[in-house]
Amino acid sequence: MKKLSKLMLSLLLIVPLAGALFPLYFMFIHSLKKSGLATLQLRDLLPVGLTFNNYIDIFSAGPFEIFIFNSVIVALVVTLGNLLFCTMVGYAFARRRFPLKEPLFASALVILMIPAHIIIIPIYILINRLGWYDSYLALIIPWLVNPLGIFLMRQYIENLPEEIEEAARLDGAGDFKILFKIIMPLSKPALAVLGIQIFLTNWNSFLFPFILTASEKMRTLPVALALYRGYQTIDWPHLFAGTALSALPVILFFLVFQKQIVSGLTAGALKQ
Amino acid sequence: MNLQRSKAHLTTWLFLTPWIVTLLLFWLYPLLHSLYLSFTDYSILSGEPHWVGLENFKRLFSDEDFLKALENTSIFVFGTIPFTTIFALILAVIINRRIPGAGLFRAGFFIPSITSMVVMALIFTNLYSAGGYINLLLKLTGLSFPKDGWLHSERAALPAIMIMDVWIAVGYYMLLYLAALKSIPGELYEAAELEGAGAFSRFWHITLPHLRPMTLFVVVINTIRSFQIFIEIFVMTKGGPLNSTLTVVYFVFEEGLERFNMGYASACAYVLFVVIAIFSAIQLKLFGLGRRIAD
Repeated sequence: MKKLSKLMLSLLLIVPLAGALFPLYFMFIHSLKKSGLATLQLRDLLPVGLTFNNYIDIFSAGPFEIFIFNSVIVALVVTLGNLLFCTMVGYAFARRRFPLKEPLFASALVILMIPAHIIIIPIYILINRLGWYDSYLALIIPWLVNPLGIFLMRQYIENLPEEIEEAARLDGAGDFKILFKIIMPLSKPALAVLGIQIFLTNWNSFLFPFILTASEKMRTLPVALALYRGYQTIDWPHLFAGTALSALPVILFFLVFQKQIVSGLTAGALKQ
Repeated sequence: MNLQRSKAHLTTWLFLTPWIVTLLLFWLYPLLHSLYLSFTDYSILSGEPHWVGLENFKRLFSDEDFLKALENTSIFVFGTIPFTTIFALILAVIINRRIPGAGLFRAGFFIPSITSMVVMALIFTNLYSAGGYINLLLKLTGLSFPKDGWLHSERAALPAIMIMDVWIAVGYYMLLYLAALKSIPGELYEAAELEGAGAFSRFWHITLPHLRPMTLFVVVINTIRSFQIFIEIFVMTKGGPLNSTLTVVYFVFEEGLERFNMGYASACAYVLFVVIAIFSAIQLKLFGLGRRIAD
């Protein structure tokens, strides 16, 4: 009886699940169809008559590979930066005593809650004054340390056994050696969570890459997609090939690293 | 010994440097700079800022576009969050009962919320178009629909974007609720069951009270996020038709980075900042109060 009622609940959820996934399904199917979307019919949703031409077109037509390259480079460098810097900062907060420790740590928590819209204008001005406008520096440097990452790494490092560090110190290892040779390897699970989350956030990021760049060659994939417009009508099959290439890595990443992604997203929430 | 201590001190500060630089240069300085700019007439095109006192703020509250943006943003926030929260809670409670395919449901509902908002907004632009699937479906069911497409209708555009937001965001908050549900000790339910409490009674007396902190968190972060709605507007409507989807952050973007009225735009951003802070404080207070009464 109990099993039956559970099965009923499952069946009940199938319709909402289909609804939630429909937009993505629709996009993937139409990125693989020849015809335009002028007069849609329900049978267009069937996976028949599929072709990869739209994907081939967007690569041969324009600077599409530049957008992908920019997105990959920016997300990758920002991720590596965060892995290194959040470990350094998190380690200091976890293990060291120093003046202003409390307010400095609180500052990270406060920044985490501050709505980012407030810095749109001043960051734009600052990046211009620094001469970084429309360059990789603008897309990378301000985002190399993430307050959530500091929080995550401090938490994790605090719970590591201190004896290993002390033994290494007695053997004459310096601070940097301890950080790179002991703390970082021991923190692999936390670094995986952090790295995946930072990569996905930056891969999807739109607002700041959009306001801090101007030229086509500096556009990341989301920015290029948002600014894509044909002259009269939108060329949907080709646009959807582009959006599919933006969405696909995220979905594959999620399916592979589901555990890390879920724990990264809920880590902050459960501590509150 | 002393030398070693000061060396340790040095590396401590070296370790902290990335955060101190980021905090000062990319957060504190911009925050203060734009606070200052909000009292000036600064434009990056005209050079030096001039102090204008409260002029920008006065102008804002007689600026019909800004008031419309504030109204739209409020409608968006208060019209979406109750639905997102309730749907997320219902989904999480059902999935948490270890129904067949629970993992599949969890992943399936969550995936739209980690897909880039630009991508989702582009897909929905098509779905909401005159001949899009949403109209096609409504036609089949015989319901009325905006013939020129949802996003071209002054009445339907904002609700369309709101429906989309709930549609996408639910999965993320469902995941947070699932994590909270997992942390409720199973013995509580077993004890209640032994005492003969029914499923509804268990939900009401055990599940709901335990989900209170997560509900507060979910509502607060969703409020902060929703007040800043921008990408959907930029991709789907550019604030139109006739300002019917103009939001505050879109207004900040237009004034500050398209017309370069940076003082005015900063004032607007700060007004929104204060609005968000007030609502977060009220939510924290209300929940705190509710908890004290419950105790």
